[in-house]
Amino acid sequence: MLKRSAIALVFLLVWLIAPIVQAKQPVKLWHAYRGAEEQALQEIIAAFDGQVELLAVPYDAFGSKLQSTVPLGEGPDLYIDAHERLGDYRERGIVAPLPEALAAGLAPAFYADKTIAAVTIEGAALGLPLSQKCLALYVNVELFAGLGIEPPTTLEQIVGLADRLPKGTFALAYEARGAYAHAALLAAFGGALLDVETNDYSFEGPAAARSLELAVALIEAGVVPEDADGALVTNLFKAGQAATAISGPWLAADLGERVAYRVMLLPIVEETGQRMRPLLTVEAAMLSPKGAQNPDALRLLEHLASAEAATIRAQRARSLTARSDLPLSQDPLLQAFAEQAALADLTPSTAAMRAVWEPANRAIRKVMRGDVPADTALAEGRRRFDDVRRPPPPPASPTPLLIVLGLLSLFGAGVLVQRARQREGWTDLRRSLPAYAYISLGVLAVGVLVILPILFGAGAALFAGKPHAMYYVGLANFYEILTARGAPLLSSGSFYVVLAVTVLWTVVNVALHLGIGMALGIALSRPAMRLRGVYRVLLIVPWAVPSYVTALAWRGMFHRQFGAVTGVIHAINDLFGASLEPIAWFARFSTAFTANVATNVWLGFPFMMVVTLGALTAVPKDVLEAAEVDGATRWQRLTRITLPMIAPTMIPAVTLGAIWTFNMFNVVFLVSGGEPDGTTDILVSEAYRWAFTREAQYGYAAAYAVLIFLLLLFTSRLTDRFMLGSKRASQ
Amino acid sequence: MVSVRAKQLIKRFGTTTVLRGINLEVEDGAFAVLVGPSGCGKSTLLRLLAGLERATAGSICFGDRDVTELEPRDRDIAMVFQSYALYPHMSVRRNLEFGLRLRNTESTLMNSRVEEVARMLDITHLLDRLPKALSGGQRQRVAMGRAIVRRPALFLFDEPLSNLDPALRAQVRVDIRKLHDEFGVTSVYVTHDQTEAMTLADVLHVLDNGEVQQRGRPIDIYREPANRFVAKFLGSPAMNVNEAILERASGRWTVGDLALVDPQEFAGLEPGRELFVGVRPHDVTLAGSEPADLQLAVEVVETLGPELTVHGKLVTEPGFERPFVAVLPADHPVRRGDVLPLRVERMHLFDRITEKTLRC
Repeated sequence: MLKRSAIALVFLLVWLIAPIVQAKQPVKLWHAYRGAEEQALQEIIAAFDGQVELLAVPYDAFGSKLQSTVPLGEGPDLYIDAHERLGDYRERGIVAPLPEALAAGLAPAFYADKTIAAVTIEGAALGLPLSQKCLALYVNVELFAGLGIEPPTTLEQIVGLADRLPKGTFALAYEARGAYAHAALLAAFGGALLDVETNDYSFEGPAAARSLELAVALIEAGVVPEDADGALVTNLFKAGQAATAISGPWLAADLGERVAYRVMLLPIVEETGQRMRPLLTVEAAMLSPKGAQNPDALRLLEHLASAEAATIRAQRARSLTARSDLPLSQDPLLQAFAEQAALADLTPSTAAMRAVWEPANRAIRKVMRGDVPADTALAEGRRRFDDVRRPPPPPASPTPLLIVLGLLSLFGAGVLVQRARQREGWTDLRRSLPAYAYISLGVLAVGVLVILPILFGAGAALFAGKPHAMYYVGLANFYEILTARGAPLLSSGSFYVVLAVTVLWTVVNVALHLGIGMALGIALSRPAMRLRGVYRVLLIVPWAVPSYVTALAWRGMFHRQFGAVTGVIHAINDLFGASLEPIAWFARFSTAFTANVATNVWLGFPFMMVVTLGALTAVPKDVLEAAEVDGATRWQRLTRITLPMIAPTMIPAVTLGAIWTFNMFNVVFLVSGGEPDGTTDILVSEAYRWAFTREAQYGYAAAYAVLIFLLLLFTSRLTDRFMLGSKRASQ
Repeated sequence: MVSVRAKQLIKRFGTTTVLRGINLEVEDGAFAVLVGPSGCGKSTLLRLLAGLERATAGSICFGDRDVTELEPRDRDIAMVFQSYALYPHMSVRRNLEFGLRLRNTESTLMNSRVEEVARMLDITHLLDRLPKALSGGQRQRVAMGRAIVRRPALFLFDEPLSNLDPALRAQVRVDIRKLHDEFGVTSVYVTHDQTEAMTLADVLHVLDNGEVQQRGRPIDIYREPANRFVAKFLGSPAMNVNEAILERASGRWTVGDLALVDPQEFAGLEPGRELFVGVRPHDVTLAGSEPADLQLAVEVVETLGPELTVHGKLVTEPGFERPFVAVLPADHPVRRGDVLPLRVERMHLFDRITEKTLRC
């Protein structure tokens, strides 16, 4: 008793003292910097008079971390992030407007115009700009000196280089398949991804079509590598295999001293006479509502945006300041980027802009694969954008739900009353009380950690609207999903088509897992095999490696130009004089699906193998010998004795494997990423897109999740029933 | 129906030699029993006959056919396993049919064979059950049925009774012998149980240490064991065997503790020879008026109806005691602490070095 009181007292004291201690806590600052930029930030903080707690948060997780902490009064006092997210943060109340005193400082005298515009939404100043980032042209100086020509100023000059470069060297490397880089080319044709005036999708029309055709022509002429991502651009330029590259300041950080390069303005497109104009991102320091109340945080904000900090950033991390009141840097890199930034278009920070990326990326990829003409792809992109931006369902009256809930509670109460009336019920309950006491902690833990989140998620399926302002819509989300949002039921991306792909995916995978796993398990269980233990360990390795690592490795292997599979094809060609074409794995459904399946089979067969090995120990040796004496061949022993005997163990494993495969997000998302055109997406990856890449339609995604749950529940119940049936039949 | 002949069979597992040049001969239609202590190689020999193991050297012939390198399915044999090895996922009927199905037997023929065997073994009512729903005895009968139904040329039995309780064991033993007499199929039966060995065998092979120690009719082997091992292994209770030196003193022969008058067995043996002397418990009688060959101090008396098994010690010289077992008729009361004068009716002498029986 005394001990308990003591513990209670300690808790009380801690609770009382905590606020006092908290008041002395350092200012919390979150950022997503790495490398030189992080060092620069640390140096800036060191010069600050006050305590600061720095936390580096991965860039991809930044938004969700803020969203899960700031509304609860936790998280950082201030944070550094790209301005594109400000619109979203503002809607969610994650960012606080600057106090008057600081907002007044946000004037053209101190900051570049575009950076001021970047942090101002509807007249409200939401942060202090720190640095600017955009794409520019990197030129390999030595290569041009070797050729004896001047670095190019027009795209056509770059195209002209192609013939003079050694084999395997590209004239220009840039992420042609992404809308971010393509936006620069689009701008040269007078287009934009989003119309800033109307806040509407504008990646359509002749300018867009022409820009796409040019991009495709560049790839077809071998000027630009196909299917290039950021890593490939970096690697090509680093290795001297690209005469020029379009990339941001991060490339310079990667290159170091390895290549002699120069940064220049993006080239002019002679066809239009216009220069390519990249999108501009402004990094800004923003206040959380909590930080806005904290004088130390305000001081730190000012310090971060100060001229002194900008100098450190420029010297240490070579990042282009947002300030306009500093003398021009002597660093040629910064000079070039400053010149380019002045010509760049500020990326809009509206929700519409965030909805542009997916349809635009898909349209670009579709055209580059040569599937459809540019017009068709662009029109489809428009449709996708409209689909995502469609108005949310109208609020529904919660009355039916309340009636259903009321009836359910009445029914429950009725059952309870009936139980209570029975005498045995009471004695039973009294007898079971200790048992309930034993399980109560477990039930509590499972309830809080499993049941509640499931109920919460399932409940979200009945809501729609912005994450911070969701309202009840009844079954509207389900209705929209099941009617394919008004489009034809079997149109691409509809629930039924994705379901069919998911079922195909599950069946093919599980069949291969089972086939390969059982074959290997049976092979490994033979005592005569040498080095059995070694093989066993080696074959379990795929299972031991985290699945996303495997998925990324396989994605790399399937790259059309540089992947290992293409390497094998080249080797075959060299060895046997064949003329096999490298396969563009992600250009067609069949090959992209195959690539996904190959990856997932690699990941999944060890499980079945291990289960098989375990199941085989339950097959007595003498039963197999009896069959041998009875006249069974090896194959007959396998099919008539071994397989039927291990089947009871394998079937639960197959059910489990089917559920895992049905929900195998990692492989689909990381290997094919749904390509081509979302056709290889399965239900979970589709649900993910609705939640996280399409305007955070959580209710809609939750409805997907509920449907997936119901489907799996239904099929596993069916399997159970089937199993029980066959068991009964056999007895 | 075939004869079985194995010549100079050697089997090694790695560096361990299990069979050291075994010769086996079973005539057509005979019931051969391989008996020996565990680890003597009898099961390995049976598995070689079945084709489940390959011989390291030597040959096996069934009749005129050399089967040394043949697969089990090509040997026309059936085997009953110690664990019965029924197919657990198949009904009794399916178990019986399995071998026939593999040979694409025509279905009416198959059904009639199965029905016939089931009737013979009294398992007709079990045909639709799974093995796990059967008792040990029933499983044993199904295993037998599975062997019989195929009508092979040779039956192999691997300790088929060792998982049954004693009463059932005796019953099934008789059944097996009856079945054999009915079908006349050559059989090879492995056991470590000497009762089974003695009762079932037409011809008995006693194995030890990977070699056949003696081959012959059970009663002949019992009466004339070839060596000390066979003498001790067969017979219950086991033969009393002691080290001894043959001596001749004052007109009597003495062999260790035994003082014997005019034993014919010793004719032709030199005095002073070192040997083992063996006396079966059944080969002693109470001395009565004749001079006793030995004195037995009784320690434990087991009554088995018509006979008593008396465990005790020989008291010839004080302080020099050896255990000894005698089987005596139950009509004479024997109590703990008695000292019984016994006469030896028959004894066995073995060479001390080779342990072989000394014949005179």
